[in-house]
This record gives sequence, C-alpha cells and structure tokens, in this order.
Amino acid sequence: MGYKLKKIINKAENVVEEMLHGMALANPALIHSEGLGVISRKEKASKVGVVSGGGSGHEPAHAGYVGKGMLDAAVAGNVFSSPDPERILEGIHQANGGKGILLVLKNYSGDFMNFTMAADLSGMDGIDVEHVIVKDDVAVEDSTYSTGRRGIAGTVLVHKIAGARAEEGGSLLEVKAAAEKAIQNLRSMGMSMSACTIPMIGKPGFVLGEDEMEIGMGIHGEPGINRTKIKSAKEIAKILLDKILDDYEASGIEMKNSEVALLVNGLGATPLMELYILNGEVHAYLAEKGIRIYKSLVGNYMTALEMAGCSLSLLKLDEELKKLLDAPSEVPGFSVSYGAVKTCVK
Amino acid sequence: MGFQLTSKDYAEYIRLAYQKIHENGDYITSLDAATGDGDHWANLDSGFRRLNEMAGDLETMSLFDEFRQIGRTMMSVIGGSSGVLYGSAYLEAAKILEDKETIANRELYQVLSAMLEAIMSRGNAKPGCKTMIDSLYPAVECYKACMAEGVSDTELLERVKQAALDGAENTRNMEAIKGRASYQREKGLGNLDPGAVTMSYQLEILLNYALGKVER
Repeated sequence: MGYKLKKIINKAENVVEEMLHGMALANPALIHSEGLGVISRKEKASKVGVVSGGGSGHEPAHAGYVGKGMLDAAVAGNVFSSPDPERILEGIHQANGGKGILLVLKNYSGDFMNFTMAADLSGMDGIDVEHVIVKDDVAVEDSTYSTGRRGIAGTVLVHKIAGARAEEGGSLLEVKAAAEKAIQNLRSMGMSMSACTIPMIGKPGFVLGEDEMEIGMGIHGEPGINRTKIKSAKEIAKILLDKILDDYEASGIEMKNSEVALLVNGLGATPLMELYILNGEVHAYLAEKGIRIYKSLVGNYMTALEMAGCSLSLLKLDEELKKLLDAPSEVPGFSVSYGAVKTCVK
Repeated sequence: MGFQLTSKDYAEYIRLAYQKIHENGDYITSLDAATGDGDHWANLDSGFRRLNEMAGDLETMSLFDEFRQIGRTMMSVIGGSSGVLYGSAYLEAAKILEDKETIANRELYQVLSAMLEAIMSRGNAKPGCKTMIDSLYPAVECYKACMAEGVSDTELLERVKQAALDGAENTRNMEAIKGRASYQREKGLGNLDPGAVTMSYQLEILLNYALGKVER
C-alpha cells in the first residue's frame, strides 16, 4: 500500500502495556496494574473513587489525569477500543476507598457496554457504582435512537470537576451531580487535517487531501460534517465556535455575559504554536460575543494518535464549577493557574 | 436421526471457526474500512487465536465450564464492543448448559436464543440496526419455525445456516444505528456489516459441524 509504520514501538500488540509501564516509571505517585491496563493512585484515600477510561491512543487521556484531585484510576483498552469488564473491575478495585465509585465514560457503544457490565459485576462485590456519560461533541446530532453524540476533549474538564468534588469529601451522589452539571454545560467541536494509523492496522484509517481539512471529525477519525480547503486560524475558530454557540442556544443555555472555561485541544500532531494562534482567535471571537473566559487551557489533552487538528471545548461556569475547577490537582497531564485570565483586548 | 455435540465437539468447532476467521482477514478488514475503524477482524482473530490455543483444555471441561471460559476469554482478548457482546452471549448460554453433557437439537436452539437475548440486551440493539444481530436473529427465527414445522435435523441445520448467511448479506441494505458505522454519512448503506459477516461465519461453521454429526 506504500505506507510505512513509522512509530517508536516494539511490537504493535504490546503498545498499550508498554506505554503504561513507561508512564508509571515517570510518575512515582502512580501504579500500573500490569497486564490489566490500569493506572491508579498509589496513595489511597477514604473518599469517592473517580474512574475513567476508554480506548488508548488519546494520551494523556486518561491515565495522565490520575492523581490527587482528578481520577483515582484510569482503565486503558487497546488503541481506539474499549477496555473489557475485567480491566474496568481492576480499576474500580484500585479506586475503591469504601465510599462508592463514579465511572466517567464517553458516549461510545463499546465503552458503554463494557463499563456498565463492569458496574453490574462490581455491584455483586458490594461496591456502589454510579456512572455519567459525557457527550460533548456537537458535530453529531444527539439522539436516543442512535448512539448519539460522542464524548471528546471536554471529558477532561468533567474529570477535573468530579475529581475535585470527590477530593473535598462529596458523597457519591454529590460527585455524580457535580459531574452531571459539568456535562450539561459542556460543548465541544473538533476539526482534523490528517489521518492517524492504529499500530495493529498499520495504515491510516482515512485519507485527507494535502490541502483539505474536515470539520467535526471525531477522535477516532469518525466522519465530520464537511470537508473543505484549509482555512485560517481565525476562520477555523469562527466555524467551530458558531456551531458550539448555536448548540447552547438550541439547548436554551444563555451564553451572553456568561463565564466559561475554554479548552483548546490538539489532536497529537499539531504544534502548540498553532494551538496558541487559534487560542488568540478564540479569545477575540468570544469577546465579540460577550462571553468572558475565566480559565484558558491550551495543549494536547485528548489526542487521536498522530492526527493533526484541534478541538475547542467550552464549559459554562457557575460559582460551584469555578471553585471546583480552581481546586488544586496533582496529575501528569493537567494543571490550572489560579484566578481568571485577562480579558482579551484586540 | 439427531446430533449430539459434546464439549470436545465444541472445542473442535472453535478450531474450525478460528481457521475460517483467520483466512478471511483481508476481506473482513476491507469491509470494516468502509464502515468502521478497521480493527474488528484483528480483535476477533486474536480472540479466536487464543481460544484455538486453549482448545485442548476446553475439550476436557464440562459444557458449562467450557462456555464460561470461552465467554471470559472473548471478553478480555477480543475487547471493545465485540468482546463484551460475545462474552455476554457465552456467559448467558452457559446457564442453559448447566448439568448438560451434550447439545442436541433443543439445546442448540436454547443456546442460540440465549446468545441473541444477551447480545440484544447488552447492546441495547434490535434487528435491523446493521450489526451482528442481523445474522443471528434470522437464524434463531428460522430455527424456531423449523422446530414448529417438525422438519428433520438435517433440513433444519441447512435452513438455519442459510438464514444466518442471508441475514449477513441483507445488512448491505441497512443503515447503521449503533456503533462506529452510525457516524458515517451514508450510515454504511451499500456495504456489508463486518460484525454480521463474522457472526455468519461462526454460525455457518457450527451448523456445518452439527450437520456432520447428524446420525443418518
């Protein structure tokens, strides 16, 4: 086919375990349950355990968000494929501090089936398990008929909110309520400029022309809304934000004069330089719309292997969400600065 | 007259199913590239490869333990959606086989029905959603009809096999409602569902194997 697998790996079938092994070596506060795809906090606490996970290939999601103030365990499946119930059960056991477990999952059929099956099984062990489902990708129509809206980068903000609420001693239902509130107020949308290659498959999942981009593409290369010629950072910001803001309006959420957390996420191969340029345009456009950015995050939070592209996520904040977002956390993949960001003047 | 499948027979079926799946890698992956993310065959193949390696152990177990072992192995080795669906199917079917030494006509119907129920319930999906169900469901329906008609085991097995194969073929004209293919613009219309095709392979091999065991 003319494709060469140009990756720093040993054997394609071992990438997930070898990655987690290396990750635990770099982060002494984390432990790796070998062979079970689980990264968890070494220091166990008597609190609600927050567990997330999903297919691999989205690093630092999800293991990079394990630590004080965010996740207690993350469960990794094969690349772009849900972890199985046995692995998820291991994550639940590692995170179990006796106060119940909240599972934070992204809305994909495979994740839903495997996580709910694990929840059923752990119920038999007497562990209280609740789950929330993140579906922030406005590129997909939400529907109860189909699988519906996907979960993408905004999920990281849900990890932060739920983890902070659990860390301050919230009950299982309180932690779940905080996560649900974040999910209700969260919207994301992405775009892609190049494909990615699952190591086990060895060739790209789709082809985008040299001068093309696809608006609304998912983090596994799922088709988006439309393909166009490459546009400027300013135009990309407008396209993604218009769709996000339309969706808030359609859900009856007033955005004018509101405060938001903004996450500018890279999909893996896009340099930070470009993400910062995009961030500037997003600040300018939101200022035009009368939306104040309380917290501005830029980086690779939820990637799609070596895909080039980005996503934007907005989380509309109230006082509770602001406090939870500001709470300290010690994890490899996420840090927040205290206080609100500067207002954009351009 | 009839057929009787022991746990040894079922292990033999697993070996044959692995061969069939393994041989069709490029074809299944090409179907998946059109509608999914291309990993269905690789995952299913690694699950069956493991089962094939375990077949020597499987054949010494009771049918109940054998089905539970197959279920757990599929769940963990195949992973993803297919793993949990096949896993749920085998764990549910195992319940039918508690205290049973063989699978005869009636038990095979119960096993396939239990698998269908488990897959529909875990996947929250119905027939017509362009999934593996679209091969298994018509097979179970055909089985039921054949039992009501009282046809011979040979005819029954032939007809059920055909229903499974036709069912997979009919996914070409369906729109995907569940899973990755549902995000495609054309919802996979015009393409076969790889999950339905691999399900039909397994049913084809199983029913052929049972056909070979019918005492005439």
